[in-house]
Amino acid sequence: MSDKRRFEIAIYLAFFALIMCAPLLLDPFWLNRIAKYLVFGMLGIAVALSWGYAGILNLGQGLFFGAGAYMLAMSLKLASPTSLQQGSDKPVPDFMLWNAEPGAPTELCCITKASFLWLPFQNQWFGVAMGLVVPVVIATIIGLIVFRKRISGVFVSIITLALVLLVRLVVIDAQPVTNGFNGLTDLGWFKVGGLEFDPFIVPTYYFVAIALCLVLAAARLLIETRAGLILQAIRDDQNRARYLGFDVTLYQTFFFAVSAGIAGLAGMFYVVVSEFASPTFMDLTFSITMVVWAAVGGRSSILGACIGAIVINMISAKVSETEGFAEAWKVVIGLIFVLVVLYLPRGFAGLAHDLVDGFLGRRKAISRRTAEASDASQPAE
Amino acid sequence: MTQTALTIDNLGVDFGGFKAVDGVTLTVEDGELRVLLGANGAGKTTLMDLVSGKTKSTQGRVFLHDTDITNWEEHKIARAGVGRKFQIPSVFKDLSVRDNLKVASCRNPGVLPNLRFGFGKQANQDVDHVLELIGLAEEANRLAAYLSHGETQWLELGLLIMQNPKVILLDEPTAGMTQAETHKTSEIVNSLKGKHTLIVVEHDMAFVREIAERITVLHLGQVLAEGSVEQIETDPKVRAAYLGSKGIS
Repeated sequence: MSDKRRFEIAIYLAFFALIMCAPLLLDPFWLNRIAKYLVFGMLGIAVALSWGYAGILNLGQGLFFGAGAYMLAMSLKLASPTSLQQGSDKPVPDFMLWNAEPGAPTELCCITKASFLWLPFQNQWFGVAMGLVVPVVIATIIGLIVFRKRISGVFVSIITLALVLLVRLVVIDAQPVTNGFNGLTDLGWFKVGGLEFDPFIVPTYYFVAIALCLVLAAARLLIETRAGLILQAIRDDQNRARYLGFDVTLYQTFFFAVSAGIAGLAGMFYVVVSEFASPTFMDLTFSITMVVWAAVGGRSSILGACIGAIVINMISAKVSETEGFAEAWKVVIGLIFVLVVLYLPRGFAGLAHDLVDGFLGRRKAISRRTAEASDASQPAE
Repeated sequence: MTQTALTIDNLGVDFGGFKAVDGVTLTVEDGELRVLLGANGAGKTTLMDLVSGKTKSTQGRVFLHDTDITNWEEHKIARAGVGRKFQIPSVFKDLSVRDNLKVASCRNPGVLPNLRFGFGKQANQDVDHVLELIGLAEEANRLAAYLSHGETQWLELGLLIMQNPKVILLDEPTAGMTQAETHKTSEIVNSLKGKHTLIVVEHDMAFVREIAERITVLHLGQVLAEGSVEQIETDPKVRAAYLGSKGIS
């Protein structure tokens, strides 16, 4: 194992330890906030995987985040106490009543057009499964079409950007099923066995933190596989990879779908800790913000992008609450972004890599020199 | 008895009325090294594009041994056993030299079978062997982006050697090289003779003399002549069309 590898493992472990210790230092309000930022860290991982390693700049990652969020939110909406108080013995979301035609039966099957789509979501685990399946399936379909057509670079970005806006529009427009612009609010708590994940309690924080650690480790290991290396080769030169016999479309689609799955997972966790899902998840600004996190943290580092997302959100929370910066905080974030892009094109993770390389290189040189010196000091026979 | 490795039968492509390759028929024996000569625009690179699947042909067929590979997708042709080196050297710039070769060593092209760690002992040995052969053992851990132009060309040759295809197409492997680099390239190419069937497009006559067995001369998308270096040198048609009055010098 090389020194650099040992260093990297140490940094990962330090990060795990740090987020595991956070509850010792924070009050419930901040704990909930940090849990949200950890979810954004998961999004950073998704962006780094598709942008940094697959070379696919997805400007519509919010589509997958939003899809995951809505799927779980539908289940949690039905688990909410208010959904049971709408005059039926089965849960019915309150907004459906407001949107119902006069005289429509207060039943999930037929209260509004297409409200039957909600039926299977009465089972929370159906929502969870869909929260993964829907983003992955959408990404696979997009990937197979786009990458089979050999669309690449900025054109993929434009297509994904257009798609997220399109879906956002559809979600807002489908008011009777999605509560439109208002999104899904007043959700119940996520339940596993007897445990209810109240967003402000410590177990919920650990739920998110452990999930983040697992996703982080899994993503890091994934790019360590042969397929991960081949993916990076494809990023560098698609044509060369094709002429070595690799089916480029399948590789790109696979990793695009994995990235979408991680984003979907992040969307579900976000619903657990924030108790709402809204079309703002599919706003253009949000998808672009994710890219900024990854760029600042370092898009070619899974951990870098993850930390980038967490730290930028902490900074913006702090700055936006500091008097005098309440209006100007976006300028501060923007400034950080501009400086990083200008002076650290590989983000802070790139800087860290160089520092570690420099440090290890110097140490090697010193040990070599001492070895030579001791050789020279050996008395001649 | 020798077998035919590659059969090109009346192959052609029509770019909206312009026939860049117009009915080329060519057979290359197993283990042969064939040089393609021709002036600019004679159709040499286009012929390689047609064989390797980059451009779809509008007439004719291509056979690899007995398999009809006409107009297959590139990665399928590659898997069937045709490797190609591009005129502009293309390697994986953000990977180390060693990783470049590891990627090329991968025998199983699918995604799921490759969700595992490491490329195996055999592959690592092969990588070391190829690193020696192309003279980049010292550079094994450097990023390919930092290699010189010549070294990049050798690395791409190394990728092909790792890939180990039956037929190798080399498009101007010495373009932009110094004399010493060209000489080393000819040594690498000569070491591939016999093990692989090679088709080389080249302008550098010194290099052609070092490697050539048989030469095919293309002119305006058609085969003008075929033969040994001496035969081509003395062929009046070739002189008129391409070499000028001075011959191969």
